[in-house]
Amino acid sequence: MQPAMDFLIKEEQLYSGALSCRGCGWALLARHLTSILGPDAVYVAPASCFSIISGPYPLNELKSTVVHTVFAAAPATATGVRAAMDRQGKKDVPVVILAGDGGTFDIGFQALSGAASRGENILYIVNNNGAYMNTGVQTSSATPYGAITTTNPDGSFKKTWPKDLMGIIAAHNLPYAATCSLAFLEDFREKVEKAKRMEGFRLLMIDGPCPPGHKTDPGQSIQIARLAVEARLFPLFEVERQQYRINYRSASPIPTAECLKLQGRFKHLFQPENKQMLQDIQEHTDEYWDRLLKLEEISRNHNVSTVRTVQAG
Amino acid sequence: MNKVSIATEAPPKAKTSLFPRHRELILKGNYAAAEAAKLCRVGFVPAYPITPQTSIVERIAEMTAKGEMGATYINMDSEHSVFAAAMGAAIAGERVFTATAGQGLFYAHEVLHAIAHFRLPVVMCNVGRPSIPWNIWSDQSDSLSQRDTGWIQLYGESSQEVLDSLIQAYMLAERVHIPVMVVLDAFYQSHTSENTWVPDQDLVDEFLPPPAFQTGEATAANQHLAFGGLIPPEHYFKFNYSFWKAIQEVEEEAETVAEAFGKQFGRTYHNVEAINIGPQTKVVLVTMSSIATTARGVVQHHPEVGLLKLRLFRPFPSRAILDAFAQLSPDTRIACIERNFLGDREGGVMQEMRRALYGNPFPMRDFYAGLGGKDVPPSTIEKIIHLAKEGKEDVYWVDFE
Repeated sequence: MQPAMDFLIKEEQLYSGALSCRGCGWALLARHLTSILGPDAVYVAPASCFSIISGPYPLNELKSTVVHTVFAAAPATATGVRAAMDRQGKKDVPVVILAGDGGTFDIGFQALSGAASRGENILYIVNNNGAYMNTGVQTSSATPYGAITTTNPDGSFKKTWPKDLMGIIAAHNLPYAATCSLAFLEDFREKVEKAKRMEGFRLLMIDGPCPPGHKTDPGQSIQIARLAVEARLFPLFEVERQQYRINYRSASPIPTAECLKLQGRFKHLFQPENKQMLQDIQEHTDEYWDRLLKLEEISRNHNVSTVRTVQAG
Repeated sequence: MNKVSIATEAPPKAKTSLFPRHRELILKGNYAAAEAAKLCRVGFVPAYPITPQTSIVERIAEMTAKGEMGATYINMDSEHSVFAAAMGAAIAGERVFTATAGQGLFYAHEVLHAIAHFRLPVVMCNVGRPSIPWNIWSDQSDSLSQRDTGWIQLYGESSQEVLDSLIQAYMLAERVHIPVMVVLDAFYQSHTSENTWVPDQDLVDEFLPPPAFQTGEATAANQHLAFGGLIPPEHYFKFNYSFWKAIQEVEEEAETVAEAFGKQFGRTYHNVEAINIGPQTKVVLVTMSSIATTARGVVQHHPEVGLLKLRLFRPFPSRAILDAFAQLSPDTRIACIERNFLGDREGGVMQEMRRALYGNPFPMRDFYAGLGGKDVPPSTIEKIIHLAKEGKEDVYWVDFE
C-alpha cells in the first residue's frame, strides 16, 4: 500500500523501518526533507534521536551519506565535509545538519554560532522537541517554561524561559532562518525548497512532536503541532538577513492552554495553585507574537536583498 | 579576486650541498611545521590560535592567502571544532593538517578519540605546554596525557626533525589508517631558529603520493554510506580488534617509512636512538625532544653513560628498546627524565619504560625536570647522572628546590 503522502513525495529517499517512537516527528521530517534535497546530500548528525533513528551500525535509513559526529560539533564536522566537497568540485552537494535542541541550543551552540558567523554553505535542521529526549527527557535550554522533565521533576518544573534561538540565529545576519511545523507540510516543504535554492548558512527549526517526552497521545502529534501554531506557542515565520516575515496568521487564535492541556508535561499547570503560571505563559506568548509583528513591520521598510553569500577571495 | 604575483625565486646556488634538491633555510620549529604541511600538499587546514602554536597556523594562513599553498584554510571557533572539522574533511577524503597546544589539545580530547577510532589519517602538530597553573612554556603533560586516544605520537628534537617527521607522518598515517601527532617543545623548538634543510617540492612529491581524491578516485560521499552510527556490543569489539591489530604494525611500519625517507632525503631516523649503550654502560638517560640535545652534549663527557632518545612514543617502541638494551649489564640504572606530570608518582616516560622493561632486572629511577618550561641545562643532567648512580630514592624532583 502506498503511503498517503505520495502526492507530495515523488521519490522516497528513506528506507522503511525508521527506529523512531510512535508519533515522533523525525521520520516525517526526514522523509520530506530528503525527498526535496535528493540522494546527493550529505547529512551530518550529532548525538540525537535522529542519530539512532537513521540507523545503528550497520544500517542507514537514508539513501544518502550520513556522518554521525560528536555531540558538540556537528556544524564543525559539516564545515569539514563542506570544504572537502567544494575542493572536489561538488559545490552543489547539499551539506545538511540534522540535530536536536540539545545539540543546538546547548552543547553545540558555540559550533553553531561559529559556522553561522563564517557563513558556511550548510543547511541546519533543528528538530526542537524541547528536551534531551534521546537520553530520556532531560531539561535543555529549549525546554518550555512550566514543563516537567526527569531533571526538573514534579514541583521543580522548568522555571525559566527557553532560549530564543531564532532571535539569536537571526542576529547572525543569515541568508535564511525559518520555523516550520509538521502540521503545515506545504509551508515546511516550501521553506526547504527555498533554503535549498540559497547559498550560505541556513537554519530551519521544526517543532518536534515527542509523545514519550511530552506525555502525549502518539495519535495526536500533528494535532498538537497544529494547535501550537494556532496558539502562537510556535509561530511560523522566516527571517532573511534580519528581515522578518510571519508566514501564518490564525483567523481565530486559541488560548495557549488549549494546546498545553493535551500534554502531560504541563499537567500540573492546570492545578488551581498554578493558575498564575498559565497566565504567565499566555502573556509571554502574546508578547513574543507582538514582538514578531513589530519585527515584521520594521522589516517592511527594508528591501530584502537577493540573498547570496559573498565568497571570500 | 586579487591576483597575487609571486616572484620567481632564483635557483639555488650550485654549491656543494649536503642534501641535494634541498634549500638550506633558517627556520623556527613552527615554521618548519608549516613548511612541511605545504610540502605534503594538505588540502584542508582548520585553525584556532593558541600559544605557542599560533605561528604555525599564521604561517599557513599567509601561504594560502598568497597562493603559495593550495589548501582550504578555515578559522574555526575552538579546538574542539578544529578537530571536528578535520574529522569531517578527512572522512570525505581530504589530506588534513592542523596544529594546537596544551589547553587546545585537552579541549579536543573527545574528538582525538573519534578521529583515531574513525581510523582517519589526520596529521597534527602539537607544541607542548601544560594546563593549570596557567603556563605557556615547554611541557609534555598535554600530549603524554593523550597517549591513550589512539594517535601515533612522534617527538621531534629539532626544526629539521619536525619537518622530516611530518612528511613521514603522512605516509605512516595513510598506510596504517591511524592519525599521527608530531610533538615539539614550546619555545625551545617552536620559536628557536635553526638551520633546516627544506626538500624541493618534487622530491617530496616523489616520496608522498597525493591523497586518493586528487587522483580522481571515487570519494566516499557519493556512495551513500553511514559513518559512526551507534555500534551494538556484538559489533563494537570488531573495530577495536582491527585497531589493535593495526597498532601493532606501527612500530615496524614507522621504521619502514623512516628507512624509505632516509633513502629519498638522505636523513636517517629510527623509532628510538641509542647512543653509547653497551656492556660498559652504567646509566642510561631516557629523554625526548630538546632535552635529548642537551643530554647528547653531557654524555660525551661520560663514557659510562648512555642516552636513549624516544622518537616514537605511541605505540611505545618496546621492541626497539629491548634491542637497544640487549647488551646492558643487569645493574645498569635506567634514568627517565620527565618533562610531564600525569598525576601519579611516576611520570609518563617511566610508566612506559617499566612496561617495556617488565621482567628485566635494570634498576629504574625517575627524574622530574624542566616542567612548565624550566630550563634543563647540562648541570641538571649532571645531577641526574649523579643521582642515578648514587641515589637511594626511585623518584626525584631535580633543581626544583
